[in-house]
Amino acid sequence: MTDCILTLLLLIPLLGTFVIALAPSTAARGLAIGLSGAMVFLSFVLGANFHANDTSMQFVQKMSWIQAPFPVEYHVGIDGMSLCLVILTAVVTLMAVLASQTIGQNRSRLYYAMVMLLTSSIVGVFISLDLVQFFLLYELELVPMYFLIAIWGGPNRSYAAMKFLLYTFFGGIFMLGAILFMYFQLGAAGAGVRTFDMVELARQGSMLPRSIQAICCLGFMLAFCIKLPSFPFHTWLPDAHVEAPTPISMILAGLLLKMGSYGLVRIALGFFPEQIAQWGAIIIAIGCFNVVWAAVACLVQTDMKRVIAFSSVSHMGFVLMGLGALSAAALNGAIFQMISHGVISAALFFLVGVIYDRCHTRQIGEIGGGLASMMPCAFYFWMLAALANLGLPALSGFVAEATVFYGSFTSPTAVADPGFVRAWIVFAGIGVILTAGYMLWLLKRLFYGPENPRWVGHLADMTINEKVVASVLSAAIIAMGVYPLWVTSQYAPLADRMCQDASHRNSISMR
Amino acid sequence: MSEVSPILQNAYWIVLAPFLAGAAIILFLRQNKSLSMLASVGAVAYGFVHSLLIFNILKETGTTYLQDWDWFTSASFKLTAGLLVDNLASVMLIVVTIVSLLVQIYTHGYMREDPGYSRFYAYLSLFTGSMLGLVVSTNLFQMYLFWELVGVCSYFLIGFWFARPSAAAACLKAFVVNRVGDFGFLIGILFFLAYTLGFWQAHPAQGILMFADPTGAGVDLSGAIRWALDPGNHTNLTLGFLTVISILIFMGPMAKSAQMPLHVWLPDAMEGPTPISALIHAATMVAAGVYMVARAYPLWLNWANPAEPTTSSMGLAYVAWIGGITAFMAATIALSQFDIKRALAWSTVSQLGYMFVGLGCGAFTGGIFHLFNHAFFKAMLFLCSGAVIHALHGEQDMRQMGGLWSKMRFTAATFLIGTLSISGVPGLSGFFSKDEIIASAFEFTGPGHEVLGPLMVFTAGLTAFYMFRMFFMTFCGQYRGSGTPHGETGLTPLNVPLLVLAVPSVLSGYLGVNAQAWQDFSKGYETPFAEFVHFGAHVHAEPLNLTIMGISIAVSLTGIALAYLVYMARALNFNSTIASGLPGLYKFSLNKWYWDELYMGIVNFLLQFFRGIWHLIDQFIVDNIVNQTYKLTREAGMTMRYSENGRGQYYAMVIFACVAGISLFIFFTRP
Repeated sequence: MTDCILTLLLLIPLLGTFVIALAPSTAARGLAIGLSGAMVFLSFVLGANFHANDTSMQFVQKMSWIQAPFPVEYHVGIDGMSLCLVILTAVVTLMAVLASQTIGQNRSRLYYAMVMLLTSSIVGVFISLDLVQFFLLYELELVPMYFLIAIWGGPNRSYAAMKFLLYTFFGGIFMLGAILFMYFQLGAAGAGVRTFDMVELARQGSMLPRSIQAICCLGFMLAFCIKLPSFPFHTWLPDAHVEAPTPISMILAGLLLKMGSYGLVRIALGFFPEQIAQWGAIIIAIGCFNVVWAAVACLVQTDMKRVIAFSSVSHMGFVLMGLGALSAAALNGAIFQMISHGVISAALFFLVGVIYDRCHTRQIGEIGGGLASMMPCAFYFWMLAALANLGLPALSGFVAEATVFYGSFTSPTAVADPGFVRAWIVFAGIGVILTAGYMLWLLKRLFYGPENPRWVGHLADMTINEKVVASVLSAAIIAMGVYPLWVTSQYAPLADRMCQDASHRNSISMR
Repeated sequence: MSEVSPILQNAYWIVLAPFLAGAAIILFLRQNKSLSMLASVGAVAYGFVHSLLIFNILKETGTTYLQDWDWFTSASFKLTAGLLVDNLASVMLIVVTIVSLLVQIYTHGYMREDPGYSRFYAYLSLFTGSMLGLVVSTNLFQMYLFWELVGVCSYFLIGFWFARPSAAAACLKAFVVNRVGDFGFLIGILFFLAYTLGFWQAHPAQGILMFADPTGAGVDLSGAIRWALDPGNHTNLTLGFLTVISILIFMGPMAKSAQMPLHVWLPDAMEGPTPISALIHAATMVAAGVYMVARAYPLWLNWANPAEPTTSSMGLAYVAWIGGITAFMAATIALSQFDIKRALAWSTVSQLGYMFVGLGCGAFTGGIFHLFNHAFFKAMLFLCSGAVIHALHGEQDMRQMGGLWSKMRFTAATFLIGTLSISGVPGLSGFFSKDEIIASAFEFTGPGHEVLGPLMVFTAGLTAFYMFRMFFMTFCGQYRGSGTPHGETGLTPLNVPLLVLAVPSVLSGYLGVNAQAWQDFSKGYETPFAEFVHFGAHVHAEPLNLTIMGISIAVSLTGIALAYLVYMARALNFNSTIASGLPGLYKFSLNKWYWDELYMGIVNFLLQFFRGIWHLIDQFIVDNIVNQTYKLTREAGMTMRYSENGRGQYYAMVIFACVAGISLFIFFTRP
């Protein structure tokens, strides 16, 4: 029975797209809530039946799909990392649907259908075990996302939607190139068998000649770094976020960016551990630069949504640091960061939306402070999310930051090139100060100080619906922060094994 | 070891109870004022009783109890959190719980009319829990964790009255300045871990960065340092670099305990309600830095001989000098302040400096003893100032006070006790611990050792002067304010805690006295406090130095006398002479040595710089490339579309032109 849960998780939103599109528009929101609720339930069932100590793929389903010219399969399965991301997807989607109360009134059938299609492709990416299937679903996500920004977005939406589309396509081309190149090279030089099976590729990747590995790895890295996003490919993100409606920003930051980081771990590190080991120092440096650079950018923004958008870039830098370090602790931390940031950024974007819905401006200067006494509930949720974002202990952001710092500083990569790597990590440490600076400064400019006469009597505190969304996300933030083991234990054996493999293979190839 | 008392086994409830109380208030009880108060006070009262029981057990058996839970595991290392109860921790547990308990009772009187009453108790509970968690930390990582939590509670409470712009600015400043310190703390831990990882990995049963190892296997900081310095382990850790690590880690205590140059947040933190100033910004949290140095003392020692580390190290000299300079600086600033709470805050900064001098000069017990005594009398002084402010309807300027002695006897009397104690008048608690520190400063052997001792004596004189200045300005002479102060009406929650705190403010010093010392001053005697709290196996028993003691008493009394002559008898007026004759010096003190101006200048410059560089790189270079690529593609498409016109002749001509071009190219290039 449990075998087909993954397929169900993929099919529910996919079929839901059509059901919602055909159903009466008054039912659209109810259907969307029901469907995403069902996904949350199924993902919890998945979690309950998951065996954490088994690092191989579980709940595998496989079916031949296309025979010629390439053998493409329908192939799904999960391990600990994908499990966490699937649960994250289901939960964040449900929250985003709940948060769509106002925005979804406009062309509601199309809106909720698009959200469901988007969810389907995101879940698909996290459970795909066939590279072509992975690529198709990875690119499929662009379609609903483009429309969601271009139809329901802000004033500059077409520029933002186009920029998002082009950037991601640009990366997609490199990924497609890498997929095909790798396929044809496999078997060419007597190395391995041609296949798109990702489990198989993780075994065969290192059989390829190093130069070919380098080219393929670079192609994948480029695609995923654009998605992550990493400097200098990050400029689509603030534009897309500022124009996207609130629930879409939640999905964008909470889930879409995780496709990039997931790809980095699953494919770049999974297929080419030696390459990552070789480039580890550079990857850490890029990650550290991201952490600080985006934090610097946050300090000079005047639009509150842009601050949160840039802070996403900053926090995804930790994933790069953890990836490049190749130490079990740091990789554990990097995967934790994906999940933790997924929840925190969803919460923050949601809370930005709460203010925007009432003030109709995102300019920090125009809001002018003093909201705390008018919206006390929003203030406390904001405070919690902001503190989680700046890495306060007992909230989830801290776990990832601390373990990535500890792990990467003591990692094999750092030991191999201590001067360079450690200097960069110390540099990233400045981000700890800057993050506190911009988050609390934002909080001060929004909530502290005397009431702005402009808003007196015009602002209502959060509604029940909004409180539910904020409470669920906050509870997740606290639960993961207080006792991270219940998340990390799902994938820790996997991360440990990946790092062990990488250093093992690297030491062989060094000889 | 087999029979562990259930009192120790359940010690974690001391930490857990305030957290549960805080959560319960936030989630369920916030509408009900009395229940909120009872939950909060009940949790800490329980903690106090339990702490006393623990103290009792440790006094009997002297065991160290350690309990650890996994918090994060990986193949590289695991992070743990738990509780370590030893003599040092048990003393701190008592200090924190008793001060917190009294402050919470006081809060009931002080905040009764505030709409945020329940919220205040919730924050107080969360703070108390975090502080207790910090005290019982088993390792540096856990300490960092709770370190940040107490910091954020302090942030909440400084910004408690969030509608005030000054409070909003102060809480932001406090958190960010503390983050600067945490940056150093974090980097220091990282370097230390990088050099000792192999040691911790060799003992996978324990967590990393452990403070103590009750099993006797030596899996603690000392063991790790010894391992890393062993050339056989190839860590390349040198003594010099160990000093660098200790200086980096010391950035944490510098920020938390408000040592120069990271002290700037503490005076501004007085924007918070007064009970907070007493609890967090005088007695407990700011002392966390001192506690941390004591807890991780091996990091600062001189390990030239790994078998027997000594206290004559560069790391400790650095600690001593930062403390010494801060003590002096803060005392000079306190001379000219008019806000009663800020003047007390500067005195806190100064006294914390004394504690670091003690630790830095090797007087481990002396530093902790001063922390212990200071917690009582400084909390009491702050609560007194709160009572005064309450009586004057929020007035904090000492120029608007005076003559309050007759209106509020209890407050005035307890304030006088605190003032005498902090001034180092013999017989009160501050005298004993301060004397130990000053004596140790004269034994200091690090760089500049000739100066440190006299500087500390001189600062003690300044302390006596500014404290009595405060006392005279507030309680003596004529009332100078406009409204009518409402005086005390018997015993209330606002003055009972003061009276309770007055007891240790007088008596706690006698824990540092051994009566036998009267027979022969030239010999060192173990005092009860030193026997209980000491570093290493040996109790450090120092003979009394009567010369130094005499000089410091004389200097303190001179300070008091001068304050009397200037502010009471008006016989001397060098204060106004200096203010008018040497305006530069006066303004330097009044404007707190211009640290704030310097930092604001740096922050503004950095923001300006960030704005410029961000516009240049992100917007002008990166985004421009993206947009231009888009435009170029678009323009190219726009131009090229004219070539797609569907006319056969045109296509034929293009084909012909290409063939002709290729032929010509081949013709001319053919060899």
